[in-house]
Amino acid sequence: MGKEQKNEIGRVISGIKKGDRQSISRAITIAESAPEMFASLIKPLYNPKKEARVIGIVGPPGCGKSSLIAMIAPKLTAMGNKLGVIAIDASSPFTGGSFLGNRIRMQDSLSNNKIFMRSMASRGAKGGLAAAVMNAILVLSSAGYDYIIVEPVGSGQADVDILDIASTIVLVLAPGLGDEIQAAKAGLMEIGNIFVINKVDLPGADKAERDIRYFISTGPAEKRQQNIVKTSTVSREGIDELAQAIIEHEKSVDKNEFIKYRFYMETLRIATEIFSEHIDHLKKERPKWLETSLSEATDPYSAAEKIIKRIESDEKL
Amino acid sequence: MANGKNQKYYDKPIRILIAKPGIDGHDRGVYVLARAFRDAGMEVIYPGLLPTPESIIETAIDEDVDVIAISLLNGAHMAVFTKVMNLLKEKKANGIAVVGGGIIPDEDKSKLEKMGVTGNYGPGTSLNIIIEHIKKRAYGAREEKWGKSKKTK
Ligand code: B12
Ligand SMILES: Nc1nc2c(ncn2[C@@H]2O[C@H](COP(=O)(O)OP(=O)(O)OP(=O)(O)O)[C@@H](O)[C@H]2O)c(=O)[nH]1
Ligand SMILES: [Mg+2]
Repeated sequence: MGKEQKNEIGRVISGIKKGDRQSISRAITIAESAPEMFASLIKPLYNPKKEARVIGIVGPPGCGKSSLIAMIAPKLTAMGNKLGVIAIDASSPFTGGSFLGNRIRMQDSLSNNKIFMRSMASRGAKGGLAAAVMNAILVLSSAGYDYIIVEPVGSGQADVDILDIASTIVLVLAPGLGDEIQAAKAGLMEIGNIFVINKVDLPGADKAERDIRYFISTGPAEKRQQNIVKTSTVSREGIDELAQAIIEHEKSVDKNEFIKYRFYMETLRIATEIFSEHIDHLKKERPKWLETSLSEATDPYSAAEKIIKRIESDEKL
Repeated sequence: MANGKNQKYYDKPIRILIAKPGIDGHDRGVYVLARAFRDAGMEVIYPGLLPTPESIIETAIDEDVDVIAISLLNGAHMAVFTKVMNLLKEKKANGIAVVGGGIIPDEDKSKLEKMGVTGNYGPGTSLNIIIEHIKKRAYGAREEKWGKSKKTK
């Protein structure tokens, strides 16, 4: 790290301690775009007691996730919680570009309530999230946020990475998404703690509800009693009920246990990242010692073991 | 940084906020731009119409964009762009460049440039010219945050 970067990191750390908004968002940029600097940023800030609760709002494209967040978010802040929102859209695999449009439905509500919101592009990550989401959660937690709502990329598939980070998962479905509901059954349906049928102002809501009830009745026994919340962001039906269901579910979660789990998953993620950075380095550099080990090796497994020992012993790669 | 250690950062997609003040309903142009920027590999934040200069700046800060692209066709550009630049200074927001466009008479362009609002492209400008300009400003904004990159040195 150069001097300018060190200075900037120092500024960001002291800014976050003071609650400065641009420092918080700059730290998320570092998580996203300069991850090699992130460790020195988060180490002095991290405090396990400050880990935020994370709510995942998942469901197929266009089912109304963003519209629902716009309505629920102010309810959570009105209860005295400091709340942030992170919403993810897919990056184009061809150009790397992305149209981050989740704000369209949330802008007024979040802006009027001064709620922090960050749009993120998936940048090639599979599983519905972006690689930097977890580190962004660490930043917001360190900055004193109590709740973080995460909206993954809209998907009907089993993009279940959200399980590693959210203690409450709200699965949103809507009438007219029949095929998506079919597809969702495979994976998404299992991970929901709260089921929502949104757009109940539209025809077809009853059918969607019957489909889901039927699906639940065939699922694991502990989920059969599960409540279904019916909402509409047009008529505002069911919004209070949904906010309440989220709070209730959070109460039922053993927060310490969940944070321990998240910490564990996070640690593994970081270790994987560091490890694969080392490997990437070797792919590019082909250092002399490796060439030598390879020529001495009797088989590729023994050679791989040498690499792992070298990484462990912290010798220069 | 001259050593290029942060080069990786310069190669990450440019983050750009498309700011269309709500007092102006001419929004066809910003859709054209949003698409062009995305296809040029940028991450385009489109929040819909933004009611006030305050909301433009707050959004740009939360999203930590490299560039705000602000579009006005209704003749209010001097007032609105000035307000945006003042707020940016007031909030001490560093590393965010402002690029303008829309219906902007030539005699206003130099005044806007002086305030730091560059580009100010109107109808018929080639999208390539616009994209190149945005890239230049975005790298400038990144230098303000992180020091010089290898490329621009
Ligand atoms: C279509 C149009 C409308 C449509 C808008 C539909 C819509 N949803 O967008 C309607 C009919 C609603 C409309 C209404 C009005 N309009 Co009108 N409209 C136009 C017209 C004919 C074309 C605009 C357009 O869509 N162009 C196509 C898009 C793709 O191009 P663009 O917007 O110019 O954007 C490009 C560039 O300018 C540039 N660009 C634009 N913004 C930015 C930002 C950045 C950062 C960058 C880098 C580049 C950039 O890149 C874009 C892509 O190439 C123009 C005349 C003209 N030739 O520009 C008048 C015009 C803009 N309208 C005008 C006026 C006065 C009005 C009205 C007030 C009344 C009226 N006379 O009809 C109302 C007000 C509307 C409102 N609420 O604000 C005047 C403005 C005069 C002025 N500024 O002094 C114009 C110039 C016509 C004229 N010569 O009098 N309008
Ligand atoms: N009729 C009706 N339309 C709704 C309701 N909620 C959302 N919509 C509309 O559904 C569309 C999609 O809403 P979003 O909130 O953007 O949905 P989303 O799930 O966040 O979409 P993606 O992020 O693209 O996956 C918009 O046009 C909304 O206006 C509702 O309760 N009733
Ligand atoms: Mg959305």
